[in-house]
Parts: sequence; C-alpha cells; structure tokens
Amino acid sequence: MPRKKTPVIQLNGLKKRFGVGDAEHFALDGVDLTVEKGEFIAIMGPSGCGKTTLLNIIALLDRATSGDYLLDGVSVERLSGARHARIRAGQIGFVFQDFNLIERMNVIENVALPLTYSGVPHTKRLQMASKILKTFHLSEREYYMPWQLSGGQTQRVAIARALVNNPSIILADEPTGNLDSKASHVIMQELADIHQRGNTIIMVTHNPDLTTYASRVITMLDGHVASDTKDVKVEPTISTTKRPLGEKPKAKKPATKKKPAAKKPRKPTKRKAKA
Amino acid sequence: MLLLEHFRTARESLRRTRVRTLLTISGVAIGVASITTILALGSGVTNIINRQVTELGSSIAVVRPTTKETSLLDFGNPLPPTSYTTSPLKERDVLSIEELDEVRAAVPLMTLSGSVRTPEQQAKNALILATTPDFPATTKLTFDEGDFISEVTLENTAVIGSQLAVELFGTNSASGKRFTISGQPFTVVGVLKRQNTPINYNNVDLDRTAIISLDSGKLFNGGVAQIQQINVQAKKGTDMPQLSSAISQQLQRNHDNQRDTEVFVGKAIAAPSSKLFNLINTVMAAIAGISLLVGGIGIMNIMLVGVAERTHEIGLRKAVGASNHSIVLQFIIEAIIIGLVGGAVGFVGGYVVAFFVSLLLPYDPSLSWSIAGLAAALSAGVGVLFGLYPAIRAARKDPIESLRRMH
Repeated sequence: MPRKKTPVIQLNGLKKRFGVGDAEHFALDGVDLTVEKGEFIAIMGPSGCGKTTLLNIIALLDRATSGDYLLDGVSVERLSGARHARIRAGQIGFVFQDFNLIERMNVIENVALPLTYSGVPHTKRLQMASKILKTFHLSEREYYMPWQLSGGQTQRVAIARALVNNPSIILADEPTGNLDSKASHVIMQELADIHQRGNTIIMVTHNPDLTTYASRVITMLDGHVASDTKDVKVEPTISTTKRPLGEKPKAKKPATKKKPAAKKPRKPTKRKAKA
Repeated sequence: MLLLEHFRTARESLRRTRVRTLLTISGVAIGVASITTILALGSGVTNIINRQVTELGSSIAVVRPTTKETSLLDFGNPLPPTSYTTSPLKERDVLSIEELDEVRAAVPLMTLSGSVRTPEQQAKNALILATTPDFPATTKLTFDEGDFISEVTLENTAVIGSQLAVELFGTNSASGKRFTISGQPFTVVGVLKRQNTPINYNNVDLDRTAIISLDSGKLFNGGVAQIQQINVQAKKGTDMPQLSSAISQQLQRNHDNQRDTEVFVGKAIAAPSSKLFNLINTVMAAIAGISLLVGGIGIMNIMLVGVAERTHEIGLRKAVGASNHSIVLQFIIEAIIIGLVGGAVGFVGGYVVAFFVSLLLPYDPSLSWSIAGLAAALSAGVGVLFGLYPAIRAARKDPIESLRRMH
C-alpha cells in the first residue's frame, strides 16, 4: 500500500571493488534496486555473483566503492560509524550463513545480545529473548550452550537472535541452508508471519522452493541484477535457480574473465556451510 | 547501563581465562606492591617525627643551619662537603631568640664526639649532647632514675640513655656512678627510660647519648658553642608562622643579613631534613615504577592475545550493533579490572612486605589514604594506558573479515 512513499532501501549504481590492479574485480557492478516497505525479496543467483556482498552492504557491514545507498531516504555515506552501529542495533536483523553464535555464551544470552546495544536492561533482555525463543520452540534449550545444539536448532537460535530486537528490515543469508525441508518451512513460515506484520525481508537463497514465500524474486549475475520479478507466488522459471549446486560451471565462466583474488576463498566456505 | 554490561562481559571473559588473568594481575601487583612498600616506609619516617611534634602541642619551632643543595655529584664524594662546614648558629642567637615575647624557652643542641668510657668499659657509638636544662621542654623525656641536669647540678653531671647505661655499667640503674668523656670525669644524675626513637627531629638517638650541660660541652670545643640546632618552645596560643618569621628576622640581623639558617614549624619539622634521603626515596620509587611498567606491558600483551582470540566475537558484536566506541569500552574495562585487582592485591602485599621490612628498621610503615589513592590511580591508569591500544585494535576490526575467522 505505501508504495508511493519513500522506499526503505534505494540503491543506485552500486559498485563494490575487491583487490587492486590486475586483481581488481567488481563483486557488485552497478546494482540498481529499490525496496519498498513490507516487501519480501528473495535474491537468487550463482555463487560468486555478489549476493552476499550486496547483503553486507545493505546491512551496513560493508561500504560500497561507489554508487548511492539511501536508507529511508537518507544517504548512509553521510552517516557516522556510530550511527551505522545504531541502525544495525535497532533497525536491521541479520541472519548469517553460518549461525555465528558466540560459543561461550548460552542460547538465551546469544539471543539477547543485540538488545545490549539498544540499551535494554539485563532482565528485560532475557525476558524478550525467552519470548522469542518460545516462538521457535526452543524454550527448553534456553540455557544450553551452542555446541550442545543440533545444526537445525543452532540456526533457529541464530534466527531468533536476528528477530529479537524487532527490526524493520530483516536480512537473511541462506537462513535455511542447514535445515531439513520440514524445519525450513517452519522457519519460512515464521519469516512470512513477520513479513505479514509489515516488516521488510531480504533473503539470499539457493533453494527455489523458498521463493514461494517471497513477494519479489531478484536474480543476480556477475554483480548486477539479471531479473526482477514482482508479485510471484509461484516458483519462477529461471533456469539458474533450479539446481543450485549444478550452477557452478555457469558461474565460473564469467567469473574467470576478470577474476578476483578476493573471491576464491569464499566459495568453498559457502559450499561447506550449505553441505 | 552499557557500562554495567561491559563489566559483566569483562568479568566473564576474565574468568574464562583464569590462569593468564591471574598471571597478568600478579605482574601489576608486584609493581604496585613495590611502590607501596617504598612509600609506606618513607612516610613512616615522616609520621614518627610528626607524632613527636604533636605530642608537644605543636608549639615547637626548630632552627637549623641551611643545608646545602645536595646534588648527584655528592654521591661520589666520600663525605658531603656540608659535613665539614661549621654551623652558623651561636650562643648569641639562642639568647636573642629567648628575648622574643612569644618564646618560653630556646634550647641549643650541640653534638660532640669523644670517647665515653669507664675504666673498664668503652661505649661504642655513644653520642654526646650538650644542651641547657630547658631541653625537656622541647623533647618529651621520661626517666628510669634521677632527673635532668639542672642549674644546681650543672657542672660535670650527665644524664645518660638506657642503652648507654647498660653499655657502661652493665645496668640501667646507674645514678651516682662515674664515667669519663674524653678524659673529663662526669657523674650520672639521671638515666632516661628507653625511648626507642632513633629517628627524631633532634637527630639524636637519646638511648645512646650522654647529655651534658652546654658549658661542659663548650669546654670540649675550645670554649665556643657549636650549635647544630635550636629548639624553640613557644608560649601557648602563639601564631607559629609569625613566630617563625620573627626568629628568621632576628637571626638574619645577627648574621650580617645572611640567610644561613632556616626555621621550621609544624609539619616542615618532620620532613626528612636530608635531601639525600629524599633523593634515594625518589630513585627507589622510580625503579619500582619500572616494574609497574613491566606489569602494564603484561596487560597489553594479554589483551592483544584476547583480542586476537575473540576476533570472531568482535565481528559478531559489531554486526548486531556494537559501535566502535562500545568495543573499545568493553576491552578497556577488562584492562582496568586487571589493573585495579592487581593494584588492590599489590597494595595489601606492599604493606605486608613493608611490615616485615620494618621489623629490621626502627620505625613502622604508615598506612595512609594518599598511598591507597595513589595505588588505585596508578593501577587504573596502567590499565587504561596499556589497554587502550588493544582496545582500539579490536574496535577497528572489519566485521566481515572478523566473521570469516572461525574463532
């Protein structure tokens, strides 16, 4: 409904360069994207096409080399580092590819961590964390340590952490990459509910099945947006998305042209995490 | 609020690396302990004299010849040049001070050297102090036997310290016994109770001293009084600083307008008169400071290890909203905790050491808030100073790079 209002996220000609000289490589090569409030976007594409880099820049974890990034109509370039931190603490929830729980903290403390930086008092933090864990059916695991959880549970804890501060934008990098299909749908249902409440969700995925939850599917290739389909409720017919692991040869060809030193190490990690 | 949270996090992570935290703490503790020991013993000396001065109602002024500036060069000399110079204080000065209205008594102190012996025994390290019968007015004396020399018994009589009595006669009940000072016979009229104050503002260990009259003393010095110090007892309610300047003016007039004497009142009397003592104290504190520096380097070292180990955690914290500022604070607080705990342990440890050392010394270490404050400030300061660099390094970490690290 509020389509005509200021977009939540607006990217104009966004570029991100890794390396210099011969090793120079653009992970993002002129991305234009407008995200309205309340959209549920699935970003797909082969490995190394810049999905994660794009997500990192949107999450203010990384800075673009050139181009504009307007968040709620304000250019983030002009904001201070401390302001970026405040936005990360209050406005953005990030679900990582590989959970990223702090090993020495128990589940509830991990989930409550983002609230620390929004200034929520200790007890209130734990209450809020406990509440969100309940929605993920992890109440009995509150005082477990991360290494005592199964992979699926760990991922759910990580997602609970991303949602605990009630962020308006949720960024998810392969949120269900490590879950079986049943658990995946539980998580996706949860994300869909959050979306229903008016939150904006941007999710990177390799699983075409999950795009059914999204309201918009973006396919990326070689650092720019290859296709952008709005209001899809059916599986898109983009060939690259059908067999996620089989697309590797496709990705390699264009990538070798201006090959990046920076990209190489990331591929195996990605695949391992998904395996 | 966030501060409390940082404190909680710091405590948690220090507890997790207990052994190396304890080792780092002990590094700081040793530094603080050595500084505390030196300061406690140093101010112990000052305190003991302070107590003597206040016991006499703080109405004491002390006149001493100006001490020459001690320089590092004097360390090399077998004997500081001041030892040879004669004191500018003369008997005339004592009389003119006594003439001042506010003065109840002015007591000259003339120390001499000479052999103190009986036909059978020679006393080692005995001192001879020539003074007037008013001496007890400026220094608290108690007697085992007899009384102080008086106008009546002035000639060839002496009051001796208990230690000297035992050395000469084998007993401290020595009244009426005779001994010689540089061949001159003297009769004991009083024996002092054991004072056990080898450090006092008279610079005389009364336990080992034979006190004789000023006139007898002059005989040993060719009939001239050679006064090292004049103790002035003021009348009750006298404004001491005013009296002090009156005395200085009087003495300056006596000494041809030369400023060769100094008048001390109140706390200044207790300040160690020897500049050498102050210098040694300062040098020792500086050396102790170096050990604190080493402790600080230990903090920095361990903090850098901690930052490297927790790179992944730092990345994550930044990703979920920690600003650089709060990462700096988190690590600084950790360093401050190490510093402060080290400081507390070192402070207590320093006093324990000072106590044991003082068993070998004639005075006790003094416990003071200023030393506690200094120890706290130093240890927190060391924490901040040496924690700052690791903390800034932690805060500067790139979140994406950090998250890629698996530990």
